Amino acid sequence: MAEEAREGRSSKDHFEVRILRQNGPGQSSYWERHRVKYEHDMNVISVLQRIAAQAETVDGKSVAPVCWDCNCLEEVCGACSMNINGRVRQACSALVDRLLEDNPSEIELQPMTKFPVIRDLMVDRSRMFRGLTRVKGWVPVDSYENMGPGPRQTRATQEVAYPLSECMSCGCCQEACPQYTKIELTRQEGESEEDFSARKNEAFDRGFVGAHAISQAMLFNSNPTGKNAAGERLDALMAEGGIQVCGNAQNCVEVCPKNIPLTTSIARAGRATTLHALKKWFDE
Amino acid sequence: MVRRLVRWHVNFILSCATTGVSPNELAGDRRTDLRDAGKQDTVEKAPAPFLARHEFLIRRLHSLSGLIPVGAYMVVHLTTNASVLNSSATFQRAVYAIHSLGNLLPLVEWTFIFLPILFHAIIGVVIIRGGLPNTGSYKYTNNIRYTLQRATGMIAFLFIMWHVFHMHGWFHFPAWLRVAEPLGGAQFSPYNAASTLGAAMSGLVVPALYAIGVLSCVFHLANGIWTMGITWGVWISPAAQKRADVVCTVIGVGLAVLSMSALGGAMKIDVEEAEAVENRMYEAKLATGELDEASSAHKRADHAAGEEHSSSADASRLHAGAGRAE
Ligand code: HEM
Ligand code: HEM
Ligand code: SF4
Ligand code: SF4
Ligand code: FES
Repeated sequence: MAEEAREGRSSKDHFEVRILRQNGPGQSSYWERHRVKYEHDMNVISVLQRIAAQAETVDGKSVAPVCWDCNCLEEVCGACSMNINGRVRQACSALVDRLLEDNPSEIELQPMTKFPVIRDLMVDRSRMFRGLTRVKGWVPVDSYENMGPGPRQTRATQEVAYPLSECMSCGCCQEACPQYTKIELTRQEGESEEDFSARKNEAFDRGFVGAHAISQAMLFNSNPTGKNAAGERLDALMAEGGIQVCGNAQNCVEVCPKNIPLTTSIARAGRATTLHALKKWFDE
Repeated sequence: MVRRLVRWHVNFILSCATTGVSPNELAGDRRTDLRDAGKQDTVEKAPAPFLARHEFLIRRLHSLSGLIPVGAYMVVHLTTNASVLNSSATFQRAVYAIHSLGNLLPLVEWTFIFLPILFHAIIGVVIIRGGLPNTGSYKYTNNIRYTLQRATGMIAFLFIMWHVFHMHGWFHFPAWLRVAEPLGGAQFSPYNAASTLGAAMSGLVVPALYAIGVLSCVFHLANGIWTMGITWGVWISPAAQKRADVVCTVIGVGLAVLSMSALGGAMKIDVEEAEAVENRMYEAKLATGELDEASSAHKRADHAAGEEHSSSADASRLHAGAGRAE
């Protein structure tokens, strides 16, 4: 079916891939076309592997292999997110047969637009991890002694928590969010790696934390031990770039490959920060 | 400066309205090239430190101000205006009730209506500028609503600025009125409520612009109540948000009917007949001492105010007055 549907620039046993490339951070980007031999059950990673092996464009020009990021190849690490046919998703689980059904003439690959490009399809997602740091996305247990087993979780909290714990920090929810805008800094001459990193973190901390971080804050606030830092997490969500930046477009929940109920987390965080603000107003 | 602002507004609205994509996307042909999509350096264009430090509080006040007092005012205002459907006298009575506040009225208007609208509108524009609508790539219903919330906000901004100038004039000191009135502003005279409203609503262009402006305000409020419920954490689960959708749709449709009734009512006012009724009501208020002429002059239509308060209204002068107002 998909094979029959293929026409136009792609022949029956080959298809074309259009890739937005960039040689390095801050450089300008350019389109490049590659032709790939059709095989059964290909995904975008296997397409990129063929393209890297050929290292040759449709016009027969020899080029440096296209660079991309991946690890698990089974949609659990989140490293391979990119815009495929205009929509953000994981390259490893994007099946070529399906993509050619949508658009028989070609497959289009672009890096995510909300994160700085390192090279070609590989981006720097450090702002996303900074977001998790901002909201203390962990259970704070720090002790030299064995503290014994933690408190038990009820079935009900477990059921709410489990889906949230599936987040793989892939960046899709930020990529599709109209309120999450790109922050890209360039390293200044003579600036040390540490200074540059500190400057980036400062900038990241003023930008929107993102739906994933709001959701992780709710996950750890529902954990019986994680609760100890609940107030600090809510303070972080109420700081600059916090939950108030969300404009309720709800794209995040639509694109999340793990079907995490992000907008439920956002609304819960909305309620929690409302109450937290009142509490601070009257108690302190 | 003003020209640039207006051009920016018009571009934004036109492009959002016609294609559902933002101008950034149009300029960069977003469908094939996402290169510029994420580019907006929030660091360089960082808001003033004050706004940044109090971002949470300001956003929550913005959210609240949309409902109280601005949304609440709009509902009361549309209801008052729709009363013109019953009769010119009903509408005139409602306006007299509002104006019974006397000299306190400007204070009430500025604290509870104008300043909150200006606050909501200005912060609203700051919010709009901080986002990058992407309905071109992600055509989900809620994303389209997000973009519409912003487009209708911009239309509401332009509409309200013009509407208040058109009817009320913004300020009521004589030097300003002498400038505003010839420009088509301050058309409404509270003691000739229905007749001046009817005269101001004549033709087709003005009512058409009103319909666009008012329906934008209605969508903006109804959809705003829905997003507000998420912002404050009232409706949380997807099922609850669906139920809230139904409630907000009902509110929106109800307000649309109410506002269109008000507009239709205003359009079909018989100016002469209304003026005769209003003048009789005014005479009666003079007779009972409820009003005095000196402090009422500026609240009456020019021709009516200039008239002797003889009980028989001079039909030809009324005619001339109505004709001039058109
Ligand atoms: C005058 C120009 C206006 C502009 C520029 C404007 C802009 C905005 C924007 C951008 C939002 C979205 C905020 C967000 O999602 O973070 C919003 C929300 C809202 N607006 Fe307006 N608006 C205007 C007028 C009005 C009027 C006249 C009303 C009432 C009739 C109103 C009621 C609301 C409500 C209830 C919300 C929901 C707040 C929330 O989501 O938390 N706005 N407005
Ligand atoms: C069918 C639609 C409408 C009609 C016939 C109408 C009519 C009027 C009239 C006659 C006035 C003058 C009142 C006075 O000067 O005392 C007025 C003022 C005003 N209108 Fe409207 N209006 C309509 C819709 C709206 C909408 C949707 C808004 C949005 C919030 C709005 C906001 C205002 C404001 C802020 C004022 C000035 C405040 C005041 O005078 O007290 N109007 N309107
Ligand atoms: S919440 Fe979903 S879309 Fe967002 S980073 Fe986690 S897995 Fe990815
Ligand atoms: S709901 Fe909030 S976080 Fe999610 S896409 Fe919309 S604006 Fe972004
Ligand atoms: S390689 Fe891990 S999600 Fe695709």
